[in-house]
Amino acid sequence: MSVSERIEEPTRDDERSSAVGTHPPVHPERRSPPIKVWFRHLGLWLSVGWLAVEIIAAIFADFLPLAEGRNPSLTLDAPILQPPQILSGHPLGTDRQGLDILSGVIYGARTSLVVGFGAVFLGVVVGGVLGLTAGYYRGKVDAGLNFLNDALLAFPPLIFLLALSSVVRPNLENVTLVLGVLAIPAFFRLTRANTMAYSQRNFVLAARALGARSSRILARELTPNVLASTLAYAFVVVAVLIVAESSLSFLGLSIQRPEPTWGNMIASGQNDLEKHPHLVFVPGVVLFLTVLSLNRIGDWAQRRWDPRSRKL
Amino acid sequence: MFHRVATVLLRIIPVLIVVSVSTAVLIELVPGDPAVAVVGAEGTPEQYAAVRENLGLDRPWFARYLDWLNGLLHGDLGKTLVPPIQDVSTLIATRLPVTLEIAVLSVLLALAISIPVGTWSAYRYGRAFDRVASGLSFALISVPSFLLALILIYFAVFRPEAVKGLILAACVIATVVLAAATVGRRGAQLTAQGRRGVRLFALGVFAVGFVLAAFLPDFPRQGFARIGEDGLAENLRTIFLPVLVLGLAESAQLTRLLRSDMATTLNDDFVLASRAQGMPVRHILVKEALRPSTFSLVTVAGISFGRLLGGTVIVETIFRLPGMGTLIVESVAKKEFMVLQAAVLVVAALYVLVNALVDISYLYLDPRTRHVRV
Repeated sequence: MSVSERIEEPTRDDERSSAVGTHPPVHPERRSPPIKVWFRHLGLWLSVGWLAVEIIAAIFADFLPLAEGRNPSLTLDAPILQPPQILSGHPLGTDRQGLDILSGVIYGARTSLVVGFGAVFLGVVVGGVLGLTAGYYRGKVDAGLNFLNDALLAFPPLIFLLALSSVVRPNLENVTLVLGVLAIPAFFRLTRANTMAYSQRNFVLAARALGARSSRILARELTPNVLASTLAYAFVVVAVLIVAESSLSFLGLSIQRPEPTWGNMIASGQNDLEKHPHLVFVPGVVLFLTVLSLNRIGDWAQRRWDPRSRKL
Repeated sequence: MFHRVATVLLRIIPVLIVVSVSTAVLIELVPGDPAVAVVGAEGTPEQYAAVRENLGLDRPWFARYLDWLNGLLHGDLGKTLVPPIQDVSTLIATRLPVTLEIAVLSVLLALAISIPVGTWSAYRYGRAFDRVASGLSFALISVPSFLLALILIYFAVFRPEAVKGLILAACVIATVVLAAATVGRRGAQLTAQGRRGVRLFALGVFAVGFVLAAFLPDFPRQGFARIGEDGLAENLRTIFLPVLVLGLAESAQLTRLLRSDMATTLNDDFVLASRAQGMPVRHILVKEALRPSTFSLVTVAGISFGRLLGGTVIVETIFRLPGMGTLIVESVAKKEFMVLQAAVLVVAALYVLVNALVDISYLYLDPRTRHVRV
C-alpha cells in the first residue's frame, strides 16, 4: 500500500475550504458507510496489526521454529551470507557468521520493545508523579523540580550516554534505565502543565469543598484526567526511544554482538552493504515499520485523547 | 527593540557557565586517566606520578576548571594532554568548519524543500498533493538517520543507474501530471496565461530532471575534501550525501509544522479579505500568509540548526567526516579535559547564539512582539 494511505485525513471544517479552496466543501464524515470508515483507518489497523504480530513473536520467540540466530558457535555448518529465500530454512537469509536473520530480527524486537516500552513506563511513572506533585503544590517544590528538570534537559544527551556507557555495563536493564531517565523531563513537563490547568477547574474545587484531602484529589480527581493526554503522547516517545536505542547499538554503545538488536545487526552488516544489502535492509525495514506504526498510533491517540492537538 | 536584543544576548552567559561546569564534573566521573596513555604500559609509578603532576591531574577538578577559565579569559584554550600534542584552538579550527558547512547547507536544503511543499500542502489541504506530501514526510520522520544514510549510500554510491532511472521516472510523472492539469475540465479552471505558465513549468521540471540524470556525478562512500585543498566542486561532492541525509530528515518535520500553521493562517480573516479583493493565490500565499505562519518553523529550524552544530555523531561516523561530534566523542573516551571543555563550550555557545537569533527574529516576524515588555 502507498504511504499516503497511512495518513488519516484530519477532520476538515467547512470554514477552511470555503476560505481558500476553489472547490465546494465536502463532508466525508457525514453519512459515510462503515466500510469506508474502516478503509480510512486501514493504515491504523495495519499499524496495530504489525505491532501485535511483533509483540507476539517477541514474547514467544523461544518456542518458534527458528534457525539459530544468537550463538555463532552453533552455526558452523549453516550457509553464510545467504540472500532471503522465503521457502528455505532461512527465510530472510543469513549473515557473515551464518546466523539466521529472521531469528535475529525477532530477538531484536524483544530488545527494542522492552527498551522502548520499559523506558517510557519509567518516564511516565517517575515524570508523571513528579509532574503531578509540582503542578498541584506549586511553590518551592515546583521551583526545585523545575530546576532539576531544566538541568537534565540542558545537558547534551550524547555526552551523558557516552560517560554512562563507560561506567555501567550496557545490558538490557541499564539501557532501559538510562533511556528512561532521559524520557523523564518530557513527561514531567507534560503532566505538570496539564495538572496546573486541571487544578484550576471547578471539579477540583468541588472535591476540596467536600473535604477531600490533597492525596485524594491527586489520585482520584487529577490523575485520570492528566493520564489520558500523557499516554496519548507515550506512543510517540516509544518510537523515539526505539530509534535512540537502535542508534546507540549502531554506534556500539548498547547491547553488544552476538546478542542481536536491530541497531547492531545493521552496524555489522554495513560493511557488506554493496554485495549483500539484505544484511542492512531486512532489520532496517523492520525497524522502519515499527517506528512508523508507533508514530501512526501515536498520531491517532493524540488526536483522540489530547484536547490540545485536536485542532489539526 | 535594542534593549530586547541586548537582554536576549545577555542571557547566554549564565547558560555557558553552567554547561562548562557540568562538563568538568562529568568528565571527572568518567573512568580512565590520560596520564596512563602518556606514560604507556611500561612506565614506572614515578614516571606516572611525574606526568600526573605535569598535566595537573593531581589537583582537584575545580582547580583545573578555574585554571582553564583563566586561560579562556586570556584567549588561551590550552594544549591537548595526550600526544600528538597540539593547540586546542587549532584542533577546533580544523573541525568546526566541517560541521558548520554541513549544518548550514542541511538547514538550507530543509527549508528549500519544506517551505514550498508545506505552503502548497496547506493550500491544497486534504487533496492529492497534500496527502502524498504528508504521507511521505510522515514516513521520512520514521526513518532513523543512520538507516537513511545507509539507504542513500546503497543507491547513490553502489547503484547509481537506479538513481538515474528514478530521477527520470519522477520527472516524467511530474511533467505528465502538470501537463494533464492544463487540459480538459481541470484546465478550463485556469486562465490562458496560467495554462501557459504551468506548461512552461512542466517543461522546466522535465529539463532539470534530464540534466540531473545525465550529469549525475559519482558520490564517494566516505571522506571529506576541504575547500582550500581540493576546490569547491570536490568539497560539495563529498558532503552531498551527508547534507542530503540531514536535510531530508529535518525537512520532513519542518514541512509538517509549516503545513499545519499555514492551514490555520489561511483560515484567518485577512486571507479572506485578500481573496475578496481578487489578489492572486501566489501573492496571498507568499507575500501575506507565509510570514505569520513561520513561527514554529523558525523556532524548530533554529533548534535543529543548533543541534546540527553540535555535530551529528552518527552521520559523521558513517561518512567518516572530521567534525565536532566525533571530536567530542573521542575526547570523552580519552578523557581529554582541555579539548572537551573547549569543544563543548564552542558548541554550546553557538547553540545558544542561534536560539537567541531565533528569539530576535520573532521581532521581525511579528511586529506585535516588539512592544511587549519582558
